[in-house]
Amino acid sequence: MIDCREAVRRMWAYLDHELADKPISEFEAHLETCQRCCGELDFNRHLREVVAAKSPALPVPPEVRSRLEILLAGGQNQLENPT
Amino acid sequence: MTIVLETRATPSARLIPTAAAAPERPPFADVVREHLDGLYGFCVRLANHATDAEDLVQETLIRAMRAYDGLRDPARAKGWLFAIATNVWRDQSRARRREVTTVPIDTPDGDDDTFSLFQTIAMEDPFPYSDELHLDFLRLFRDEDVSAVFALITPAFRLPLILTVVHGFSCKEAAAILEIPLGTLLSRLHRGRKQLERGLWDYAVANGLVTTAEGVQS
Ligand SMILES: [Zn+2]
Repeated sequence: MIDCREAVRRMWAYLDHELADKPISEFEAHLETCQRCCGELDFNRHLREVVAAKSPALPVPPEVRSRLEILLAGGQNQLENPT
Repeated sequence: MTIVLETRATPSARLIPTAAAAPERPPFADVVREHLDGLYGFCVRLANHATDAEDLVQETLIRAMRAYDGLRDPARAKGWLFAIATNVWRDQSRARRREVTTVPIDTPDGDDDTFSLFQTIAMEDPFPYSDELHLDFLRLFRDEDVSAVFALITPAFRLPLILTVVHGFSCKEAAAILEIPLGTLLSRLHRGRKQLERGLWDYAVANGLVTTAEGVQS
């Protein structure tokens, strides 16, 4: 039987689906008896979603895009003589 | 009839995928355009700075252009571009003598490893009248707050987080991009998450998003 400390240590790997079978069953057995760790698991799931949602895509600003397009179009010249 | 015989006479063409696929390879610029926003966002988060990010994208494209013939499967271009960007960023950081590693990267750090944001919020109880204590804490953060917290995470641990959480790569793909074994990736990812948990709490206290008895005194 694992304790809360060990359960917390495995929690992120569990959420990432990266735990092996045995650690998963030990972890899940712990959850069945521990309200606290269930709460923490739920919170970490939320935390993951919130962090992803608050890290939005950062589109290329138009002026940067036009410089990159010149690079793509110009190819070799541009890279051998940078301004 | 002759045509049928001729096509059957060259079955080996199908067995040489690179030779056969080469003419159908999409132009480099098209492949890049498809991933340019993602690549730029990744570079901004790597460099923590818009000007550095543009440099990083430019150098990445230059290297990618030269290496494009070596990309066997253009469908994997996104991970390939991110891997090149990571290498460019490492080289640039080394050249500028930034990002000096001050913590041992692959040995466990007891302090980081056991911090629990969940437990800290429960113990410090920053919203005494809330029945959604933990969710209220997360609601305090705006996009720029989350970016600021990310920026403080040790780069070796920040990268796996950015790749998986922000850009949606699997752990296996992230390990391939960073050219490290999966086990190493997982332990760095774990430590990145723990630094993120601690960073969110410290940021909230330092910026007055929450007040704690201790925070007021210190
Ligand atoms: Zn527990």
